[in-house]
Amino acid sequence: MNERDEALKELLQRAAGGPADRELKRDLWPEMLRRIERPPVRVPWWDWALAAALLLCLLLFPQAILAVLYQL
Amino acid sequence: MTGTVEAELEQFTRGDIQAFETLFREYQGDVYGWIVRIVRDPGAAEDLTLETFWRIYRARARFDPGRPFGAWARRIATNLALEHLTRRHTEKPLDHEYSRRAESCATPDRAVDAELRAKLAAAFGELPAKLRVAAILAMIEEAPYAEIAEALGISINGVKSRVFRAVRLLRRSLEKRGVRP
Repeated sequence: MNERDEALKELLQRAAGGPADRELKRDLWPEMLRRIERPPVRVPWWDWALAAALLLCLLLFPQAILAVLYQL
Repeated sequence: MTGTVEAELEQFTRGDIQAFETLFREYQGDVYGWIVRIVRDPGAAEDLTLETFWRIYRARARFDPGRPFGAWARRIATNLALEHLTRRHTEKPLDHEYSRRAESCATPDRAVDAELRAKLAAAFGELPAKLRVAAILAMIEEAPYAEIAEALGISINGVKSRVFRAVRLLRRSLEKRGVRP
């Protein structure tokens, strides 16, 4: 880095208040554990049935794709 | 790598929650410390630390226990911090973002007046996220280029090039605002 770059670096450091405080103030494990133990989101069986019905409908009547896209 | 560490990593890849807890407790400080250097916001850094370990936990089966865990964690953390900066760039006004970060993280030098700080913040915020990360780590945090290169997954020359481009863009942007550092 040349002198001008050093001046810019110094200005940035002063404006930002120097290096960040890197110390973690609390233990994050309890939150992590809660996230791990949270039950995964389950899609109800009727949503799958609806999606399958829609797919079947689109396969049988491809012209319905435009109608479906219009509704989105 | 010692046998004990490798055995622990092996257990972690098989989904052992205790092995994961040991790794979490050992590395959470390091991961947080790295993220906060990039985002300069302790609250966001905590959230991103949790997200980093959540991703690590979900990807545990793909982890090779023969490789260093810390480097892997840091790479994921860097990518998340980059995503965060990109998101913030589009969501919030730049001046507000930088000032808030400066206030929450460290005490800005009173000699640098508010107007100049706002101009610096605006110029800094205009940088593409990849250049901003390189500039923050190299110029504000003074992290070694080798460390930055490893975390970003690029070469040392790549880091130098990003810092060089960042400085050039910063200078141009500051000159447009009437600041000549």
